[in-house]
Amino acid sequence: MSSPVVGIVANPISARDIRRVISYAGGLQITDRANMVLRILAGMAATGIKKTVIMPENAGLRGHLMRALTRSKNAGDGHFPEIRTLDMPVTGDATDTARAARIMREMEVAAIVVLGGDGTHRVVVANCGDIPIAGVSSGTNNAFPESREPTVTGLGVGLAVTGQVPPGIAFTANKRLDVMVNGSLEIALIDVAFVRERFVGSRAIWKTECFHELFVTFGSPGGIGMSSIAGLVAPVSRSDRFGRRIVFESPETASFAVRASIAPGLIAPVGIADVQTLQFDQPITPETRAGSIAFDGEREVTFGKADEVLVTLRDGAFRTIDIEACMAHAADKGCLVEQAEHQTKLKQVKGG
Amino acid sequence: MTRKISMKEAVNEALDQEMQRDPTVVVMGEDIVGGTGSPGEDDAWGGVLGVTKGLYAKHGDRLMDTPLSESAYIGAAIGAATCGLRPVAELMFVDFMGVCLDEIFNQGAKFRYMFGGKVETPVVIRAMCGAGFRAAAQHSQMLTPVFTHIPGLKVVCPSNAYDTKGLLAQSIRDNDPVIFLEHKNLYAHESDVPEESYTIPFGEAAVLREGKSATVATYGQTVHRSVEAAETLAKDGVDVEVIDLRTLSPIDNDTVIESVEKTGRLVCVDEANPRCSIASDVSATVAQEAFGALKAPIQMVTAPHTPVPFSPALEDLYIPTADGIADAVRKTMAA
Amino acid sequence: MSATATAVSAQGSDSPFPLEKDDLLSAYRTMKTIREFEDRLHVDFARGDIPGFVHLYAGEEAAATGIMMHLTDEDRIASTHRGHGHCIAKGVSVHEMMGEIYGKVSGACRGKGGSMHIADLSKGMMGANGILGAGAPLACGAALAAKKLGHKGVGISFVGDGASNQGMFLESLNLAGVWELPVIFVVENNGYAESTSVDWAVASDSYVDRANGFGLPGVTVDGTDFFAVHEAAGEMIRRARDGGGPSLLECKMIRFHGHFEGDAQTYRAEGEVEDIRNNRDCIKMFADRVSEAGVISRVETDAVDAEVATLIDSAVEQAKAAPLPDTADLLTDVYVKY
Repeated sequence: MSSPVVGIVANPISARDIRRVISYAGGLQITDRANMVLRILAGMAATGIKKTVIMPENAGLRGHLMRALTRSKNAGDGHFPEIRTLDMPVTGDATDTARAARIMREMEVAAIVVLGGDGTHRVVVANCGDIPIAGVSSGTNNAFPESREPTVTGLGVGLAVTGQVPPGIAFTANKRLDVMVNGSLEIALIDVAFVRERFVGSRAIWKTECFHELFVTFGSPGGIGMSSIAGLVAPVSRSDRFGRRIVFESPETASFAVRASIAPGLIAPVGIADVQTLQFDQPITPETRAGSIAFDGEREVTFGKADEVLVTLRDGAFRTIDIEACMAHAADKGCLVEQAEHQTKLKQVKGG
Repeated sequence: MTRKISMKEAVNEALDQEMQRDPTVVVMGEDIVGGTGSPGEDDAWGGVLGVTKGLYAKHGDRLMDTPLSESAYIGAAIGAATCGLRPVAELMFVDFMGVCLDEIFNQGAKFRYMFGGKVETPVVIRAMCGAGFRAAAQHSQMLTPVFTHIPGLKVVCPSNAYDTKGLLAQSIRDNDPVIFLEHKNLYAHESDVPEESYTIPFGEAAVLREGKSATVATYGQTVHRSVEAAETLAKDGVDVEVIDLRTLSPIDNDTVIESVEKTGRLVCVDEANPRCSIASDVSATVAQEAFGALKAPIQMVTAPHTPVPFSPALEDLYIPTADGIADAVRKTMAA
Repeated sequence: MSATATAVSAQGSDSPFPLEKDDLLSAYRTMKTIREFEDRLHVDFARGDIPGFVHLYAGEEAAATGIMMHLTDEDRIASTHRGHGHCIAKGVSVHEMMGEIYGKVSGACRGKGGSMHIADLSKGMMGANGILGAGAPLACGAALAAKKLGHKGVGISFVGDGASNQGMFLESLNLAGVWELPVIFVVENNGYAESTSVDWAVASDSYVDRANGFGLPGVTVDGTDFFAVHEAAGEMIRRARDGGGPSLLECKMIRFHGHFEGDAQTYRAEGEVEDIRNNRDCIKMFADRVSEAGVISRVETDAVDAEVATLIDSAVEQAKAAPLPDTADLLTDVYVKY
């Protein structure tokens, strides 16, 4: 069994924006995040992972981790794999996430485990190339990462990257939205929203009167964030071979409006003017002529009439680890069963 | 109409009347309601010794319980005082001033001077002081000199119910920060107090007993011990004048000096520790201003330079006694 | 990130920013006034013109300006030792400030306070403060007064990353929560407590965590981005005015100068200051953005620059020419009446 290196991205800046004030969004404490990383590490160690790398930060995560690792080492319990901090400067914002993901891609880690919400996942995917990722939901808006106990995510990732689960089962290809602004590429994993506000400001979008247009890769009725609007109007799954485009107008004048969970704690009526299906690889020029573009719920780019903006849905754009499938495979094949005799018993039980 | 009430009741009455008179007066402190939010809040504690009992039922949320965070709420009282309120903040025991002294001596006390005379900080900080309650080292100090040392603060320490009511009303109406110290051993002490509201100006000592032989200058609990000593000495034909300083900043040196010019002898009695105390301050002033009038060296009767001990046997030795004061007077008479 | 220059009509509500053109120009003027004021002090202090010591706010202008634009004179702020920017953004006269820093009777405090104690209650400025963290209880008091007196004022407490470790500050977070005060705690995190790095001095240096620990919502923004600060502060201040209670805003920002003037900043990485001056100057970023959007032209910002330079020139001239305090002033203003 090989001992691949797994990367961990946990940026303390995630889940810290204005949504905590406007709508009671969660803000996982640093100690909680450190404990989540430790549980991921424990899961991975149990599958034979020996080496991990983590992005550096300066908000106290590292201190908690190092104390726990030192205690474990002193106790000799072998609870955690080796953890190395990447050698890179820390700026204290999302660029740390991007830089860490790039370095992990260059060093060809076997997978990247991402702690965060949609915003952090988006930054990792934009920079990690073909490296598969596994998300641990801990951000503000968590439409993309699934809610799962991090220990199990650690186990699933370990099973996948050590080859105990075949790649065909372990890895899933995902859709993505590409947005070209004057030839410069930005991406979104779930949704691209065009809003009239022409400044990035505190990034979050919640002023529905400024909503103009939305593109989604998937949108589930039970989802959260902008994509939930599509979910309520015309649902699309992660595996569907198309996406959606929705054009908004004021709820007063629109032919109909939906009350959607546009952000955690924020349910607002949104007027729907038009709904279209998006096909792969067909660039579309948005109707919005000036404003800002929010990727996965956060304003990132402002643009005006002279700027050329194109939105394209892409297929098979990046890989994720399907934890549920990995665990199912492990159960089926007895990957986590310790001795051969028990393997036999397990077969009997299953058969019984 | 006048009737006898205790010093504790005098505090309560002054707060009540000032809150009725001026809607900007608010009262805050640890347990001063003593049960905000609890089912029996209208009959709640009213302070650890019940000084503010009943005020919450009358004035509602103008009385505010605080968390045990002296820096935060004393600072908030001072901040609010610069913004249109007249807060009375109770600090329970003066010994706790240490945890919030910055807000008092670096903030409230200095605002007016530091900001060029453009700010008024009408805040009163009330606290219990003094020994005799078997409350030991951290709940029994006087600490009066700590506050008189600081420019910008006014310091009051009454000895009876009448003065307490009038001086507390004056403190609340005063436009400077006032440290108002209530000797806990005197809370039950009763005296004649008018029902109606009145004030006593700062910087005016009270001559409690006139005499020609010697002057005793003191304040707080030792006022009563000094009067007791004077009565004892009177039987021996020694005629002692007893002065209750009442306010320590401003301090009424004139009354003391006038008295010393008459008697030629001075005993300063102070329950505070001796170094840089009120006693040493008054002594120094008299020595400087009225040296020629002195017929004998000034005597000082103070607590020793020790923390307040717990054991009743020791604590009784710590506080200046009537006998000790009488001895000091005899000593100055003999010189 | 901004796309390339475009011409957008800046008339009326067509402004693509949350502020109309006049307000944007006013924000620029405030930031530029702070910068020019501090840069002038930097030079004049080095020349020996200024007594005592000064702590400069240059590099951090977007935070003070983005917050203070939401405030009126009825709103109170409790500032820090690095208070010049807060004063200017709150509307204190730069002539009176400069006079104060020169120790003249023309000063905001008649020369008795100095740089670290500039106050103007008529403008809602409760004072710069030489005691770190001491302003937090005072801002709670201002908020309490607003609440009890029934007006819509708020209190704003500024602390740095260093002072956020003070008990007074942490107690204030709790008090504000318990009393539901209309107060906003602004942590200006410039990465250094004097010379000690925040990484070292703060055990869990997420200020949002600290706020959460006291039941207050906390938000972190890029303090060099005027719009980010303005928008977040606006939401928090509106919330506080409407009875929504206290909150905490962490602004991650950058200090151009040392802790105080004369600090050689040997503890900073080589090239750190040059890099931030070139690439993370909040005023330059603001000007670029509004001009790229076609709302404010370079000609207009140049005109403001010239106007501000003249203003500071006259403040320095007046301060130098103003009389020193009288001997008698030593003893006045200790008490209202003693």
